[in-house]
Amino acid sequence: MKLSLNWLRRYVALDRPVEEIAHALTMIGFEVEGIVRTGLAPMANVVVGEIVTRDKHPGADKLSVCTVRLAPDAAPVQIVCGAPNCDAGHRVPVALPGAVMPGDFKIKVSKIRGVESNGMMCSARELGLGEDHGGLLVLASTLALGTPIHEALGAGDVVFDLEITPNRPDCLSHLGLGRELAAWFRLPLQYPEIRAKSPALHAPAVLQLLESVAVTAEEDCPHYTAHVIAGVTIGPSPAWLQEALQAVGLRPINNVVDVTNFVLLETGQPLHAFDARKIAGHRLVIRRAGDGEKLVTLDNKERILSGRMLVIADAEKPLVVAGIMGGASAEVDPTTTDLVLESAYFKPTGIRWTSKKLGLSSDSAYRFERGIDPCGVLDAARRAVDLILETAGGQVVGPLFKVGGEPATETAIEVTPDFIRRRAGYDIPDTAMRAILESLELDIEQRLASEAPGFVWTVKIPSWRGDLDRPVDLVEEVVRLHGCDKIPPTPVVAVALPEADDPISEFNRAATAYLVGQHFHECINYSQRSGPETAAWISEAAAQTLALANPFTDEYSHLRASLINGLLDNLRLNQDRRTGATKFFECGRTFREQDGKIYECLSVGFVISTTSDETQWLPRAAADFYTAKRHLAVAAANAGVALENLRVEPVAAANAGWQTGHSATFGRLTEGFEARCGLLNLEMLRKLGLTGGVVAGILHLLPERLATARPRAKFKAVSLFPSALRDLALVVDEAAAAETVRRDVAKAARAAVAGKFVLENVRVFDVYRGTGLPEGKKSFAFSLVYRAEDRTLTDDEVNVSFLKAQEELAKNAAYAIRK
Amino acid sequence: MQAALQALVEKARAELAALRARPEFEAAKARYVGPNGELTALMKQLGAAPKEQKPILGKLINQAKGELQPLIDAALVRIEQTEIAAQLGPAIDPTLPSPDSGPGTTHPLTLVREELCRIFRKAGFAVVEGPEVETEWFCFDALNTPPDHPARDLQDTFYLPENVLVANVSQRTKERYLLRTHTSSVQIRTMLKQKPPVRIISPGRVFRRDTIDATHSANFHQLEGLYVDRHVTVKDLKAMLDYLFQSLLGKDVKTRFRPHYFGYTEPSFEVDLSAKHLGKVGKEWIEIMGCGMVDPAVFETVGYDSTEWTGYAFGLGIERIAMMLYGVDDIRYFYQNDARFLRQFA
Repeated sequence: MKLSLNWLRRYVALDRPVEEIAHALTMIGFEVEGIVRTGLAPMANVVVGEIVTRDKHPGADKLSVCTVRLAPDAAPVQIVCGAPNCDAGHRVPVALPGAVMPGDFKIKVSKIRGVESNGMMCSARELGLGEDHGGLLVLASTLALGTPIHEALGAGDVVFDLEITPNRPDCLSHLGLGRELAAWFRLPLQYPEIRAKSPALHAPAVLQLLESVAVTAEEDCPHYTAHVIAGVTIGPSPAWLQEALQAVGLRPINNVVDVTNFVLLETGQPLHAFDARKIAGHRLVIRRAGDGEKLVTLDNKERILSGRMLVIADAEKPLVVAGIMGGASAEVDPTTTDLVLESAYFKPTGIRWTSKKLGLSSDSAYRFERGIDPCGVLDAARRAVDLILETAGGQVVGPLFKVGGEPATETAIEVTPDFIRRRAGYDIPDTAMRAILESLELDIEQRLASEAPGFVWTVKIPSWRGDLDRPVDLVEEVVRLHGCDKIPPTPVVAVALPEADDPISEFNRAATAYLVGQHFHECINYSQRSGPETAAWISEAAAQTLALANPFTDEYSHLRASLINGLLDNLRLNQDRRTGATKFFECGRTFREQDGKIYECLSVGFVISTTSDETQWLPRAAADFYTAKRHLAVAAANAGVALENLRVEPVAAANAGWQTGHSATFGRLTEGFEARCGLLNLEMLRKLGLTGGVVAGILHLLPERLATARPRAKFKAVSLFPSALRDLALVVDEAAAAETVRRDVAKAARAAVAGKFVLENVRVFDVYRGTGLPEGKKSFAFSLVYRAEDRTLTDDEVNVSFLKAQEELAKNAAYAIRK
Repeated sequence: MQAALQALVEKARAELAALRARPEFEAAKARYVGPNGELTALMKQLGAAPKEQKPILGKLINQAKGELQPLIDAALVRIEQTEIAAQLGPAIDPTLPSPDSGPGTTHPLTLVREELCRIFRKAGFAVVEGPEVETEWFCFDALNTPPDHPARDLQDTFYLPENVLVANVSQRTKERYLLRTHTSSVQIRTMLKQKPPVRIISPGRVFRRDTIDATHSANFHQLEGLYVDRHVTVKDLKAMLDYLFQSLLGKDVKTRFRPHYFGYTEPSFEVDLSAKHLGKVGKEWIEIMGCGMVDPAVFETVGYDSTEWTGYAFGLGIERIAMMLYGVDDIRYFYQNDARFLRQFA
C-alpha cells in the first residue's frame, strides 16, 4: 500500500518529520518497506531551460556542446553536456553558476576539454530526486523558461510503501491509515464531507438508462448499490486529482475513472463506473457466470469464466468480473454522458477464488478478498458522486438501486481493564487504555463490575474492524498504541518442567558426535530429489509413491528415499573443488515406501571415498565394507539396536546403487530398523562423475520405535582367574557365513562346557583360502576363551571340553576340522 | 684349572662383546653357564678334586663366575637396547603432518541449533520433535489458519498427492499430507498429548515452495517455542526473548517488538534486533523473528481451557540466526557442503 503524505494531510494535520512518521507507522504495525520523496526543496540558480542546438564536442566523443535558452528573449548560453539525450527542443533543469547541488557540489563557469561551459544540465539524480541517472530529466514543454526548478516540479510529497498485514484491510486506504496515525499522535481525524444525498429507492427509473438491478447470488453479494448520473462530460481530471493518483503510482485516465480510483484509495471501497448507454436491456444482473462464458477484461485479455464466478451482467452478456475487473464493453470512454456507479460488498471467499482461478488481481480484488467495511458501501458511493459532479458535471437521476444491505448486527466486546493489564503483564492506567481505544473510534460503555472492584467495559467495535471480536484482540490494540517499546524489561523467570529432550534429538546428537569424532564432515541436503534418480535408487513403483503433488522443479520432485544421493553430490563437489575432504555424513529424515504407503524415517547416512586426491607421505589402509559396518553398528547401538542380532541379507537387486557381493542389508524396516552398508555400485559412481570407489552406510529407523528409556545396566563381578585359550579351524563351503559357523562353534563349545565353567567368547581370527584346501572351500579359525569364576582352569579339564566340542562339530557334514 | 678358568673368562669376554642378536646370545650363555656349559663342566670337576684343593678351586670358580656374570648381563643389556632400537625404527619428524583424515566438522546449522537448544534448556524448555511430512490439519487448521489462507496455496506449500498415506504420521480425519511450512505443528501434536503447563522448543526442517536465491531456500530450519501456564504475559515473552538474544550476542544487544499478524497468536509481534557488533547490516534494526501470545482459538482446538491457560509462542529461522552470527551472506552455502566452508565453524 502506497501512502502519500500530502493525501494523508487532507484528513490529519500531521506536520511531524518524515522519520518520525515512518517510525510511528512501524510501531503501530505497518512495516515501512520504502520511502520515496518527490519534488524539491527550493534551489537557487536552477531553472527550466530549453536546448536550442546540439553539436559534437570537438575533443570528446561522448560530450556534446549545446546552446540553451533560459528566457524567451535572452541569448542562449553554451553548456557542455555528457548526457545521451541532450537533444535540441527538450526543456530540462539547468544549474547555473552559483547553484549548489545536493552533495555540496558548486556549479561554476568552467572549461571542459577546452570548451567553455556555463552551467550544468541535470538528471533526476543530480537534483536529488531518486536514482535515475540515465539522462537529463526531460520536463514538460509547457513549463515557462527560467522558472525555478522547485516551482516547476511542484511541491514535494513523501510516499511510504507499507506492508499491510492481512488482518487489517481497513488500512488499505488513506483514511484507514490516517485513523491509525491520528490515534498514535493523538490528533483529530477529519473525514471528508459528504454532500450528495442518495435518491429515494422508489423514485422512478429513467428509461433508456438503468431500469433495474437484480442479484441472483446473494450469498456472494450481500449488498449491491447503483447510482445513475446523467449528463457528465468526460475529460481530464483536475490537477489535484491527477497529482494524488500519480503520487501513489496510478496513471490518470479521465475524471470519472480517476474519481473511482481516488475514492478506492481514500476509503478502501472499490467502485465501478459503467457507461449507462452501453448496458443492454437497461438492466444489471449480479449472477453466477455460465460455464465457458467469455469476457474481455480491460487489460484486453479474453477470460473464460466458470459457474463459481460472479459477474455483473446486462441483459445479454457479462460486463464485469464482479469485484475484480471491468470488461471493455461497458467501459467509460470520452463520449460517455451517463454513468452507472456501482458500490457493493462482495464476499472475500468468492473474490479470492475467482481472482486466483483467473490469475487476475487488481486493487479492487485485493481489498474485497481481504474484506472491506461492510457498512461503508453507500458513503463511498456518495463521496464519489460528490467528486464526479465536481469534476465531470451531471446530476443524479432515477432511484438509488439497492439490493441487500448492511449486516444487521454490531460487534461489542466485554472486557475489564484488569484483564488487559493481566495479559500485558504491566501497568497501564484505565484512563490511558480508554484513551487508546477511543482514539481508534472504539466507543466504551463503562459499568461497575459486580464481583470484583473495578469496571467492566462494553467496547463497541466499528464495522471496519472485522479483526476485533474477543477481549484478547483489545489487548493487542492497547499494547500496540500504548507503544511496544514500553513493554518493561524484566529478568526471565524460568520455571523448569522436569522433561527430557526428545529421544530423536538425543539420537541425532549421539550419531553426530560419533561421526564427527570419526573425522566425518556433517552435511545438510534438501529432503527432495529428482524422479529419475529416486526410481533408479529404489524402484519405479516405489518412486511413484514418493512423488510430490506440486513440485517446484524436476530436480526436487520426490521425497528423498536415502541420504546417500545427497552425500554423493557433496562428495563430487568436494572432489571437483579439490578440498581434500573424503568423509561426509548427514542425519535427517528419509521416506520409505512399503506396500504403497510412505514411512517417515530417522536416518543416518555416510559416504567415504576410498581414494583421496591427496597422495599421502605415509599410506593408510583404505576404508572398506567392514569400516562402514563398524560405523553403522555404533549408530545402531545409539538407537538401542544391536546390529549383530539382525538378519543379514545381500542388498536386493532392485537397490541398484549398491555393489552386488560387496554390500549387505541388516534388519527390516517393517520391524522398525533397517541398515545397509558396503561399496556403492562402481558403474553408477562413474556415471555420476565421481573418482574412485565409495564405501557408504545408512540406517533407517521408525522414530516411534526409538527406545525412550533403556534398562539400567546391572553389575556382574568379573572373574579374577586366568583364561584358557584354544584355537579351532574349520574347513567350510565358500558360501558359508562366518557368523553362522561361529554360532555353531559357540553352541557346541558351550554344550561341552556343560556349566562347569564359562565359555567366555568365540571369535573369528582368520579366514583362509588357497593352498592345502579343496576347491570351493575356505577355512575359518576361531579363538575360544574359557574361564572359571572360582578357580584357575586346569589344562585337562579344558582339553576334555574342547575335544568334546570338536567331536560334536565333526558330526556336522558341512564342517571339517582342520588339523 | 686356574689357567682354564682364566682362559674361559677371556674367551667369554671377547665372544660376548661381539654378540648382536638374542639367539646367539642365548647359545653363548648356554655354552658357558648352561647345564652343559664350559663353566658348569669345570664346576663338575670340583667334585673329583682332592679335598684340600677344594676350597681354593671353589674360590677360583666363584671368582670366574663372578667375572662371567657381569659380562653376560652387559651383553644382554646391549642386545635388548639393540632390539628396542630396531623396534622403534628411525626417529620421527614431529613436523610431518598426520596422514589420517583431518578433523570432522559439525555443520554450522547444527552448531547454531544446539546453541539455541542449550540456551532454552537453561530456561526450562525441552526439545520436542515431530514429522516433516505433516497434514493440513496440524499445519494449518489447528493453528487457526482460515481455509482459504494463501499459505495453503499449491503455490506456496508442497503437497503429497490426495490418495497417499503416510503410515506413521497420524491424520486428524482424512486431510491431505504436506511438507510442513513451520514446526508449529509439533506444538499442536504436543498439546494434544500433554496437559499444561508446557515448555517446549521444536527445532526442525520446514519447506516453502519458493525460488532459491541468496536469501530463500526451499528447505530451511526453524526453532519454535511454546510456553503455556497460568498468567503468562506479554512482558514474560519479551523477557524470554531478551534473554535469548543477550545469551547469543551479549548484554549490549537491544530488541524491539513491533505489532504484526499471525493467525495463531494474539497479540502478535515481529522482533527487531540492534547490536553494535552486527555492523555490516547497515540498518539500525534488523528483523529477526516472530512471536506472540497463543491465540485462544488454538487452545480451544487442543482442548485447553483458554480462560485458565495462557501462553506465548515464538519462532525463528536457524539459517537467519546463523547468517547473522557468522556473517554468511548467501543461504545456499549451507546446502553445498563445501568442506572449506564447513571447516570454518568447527
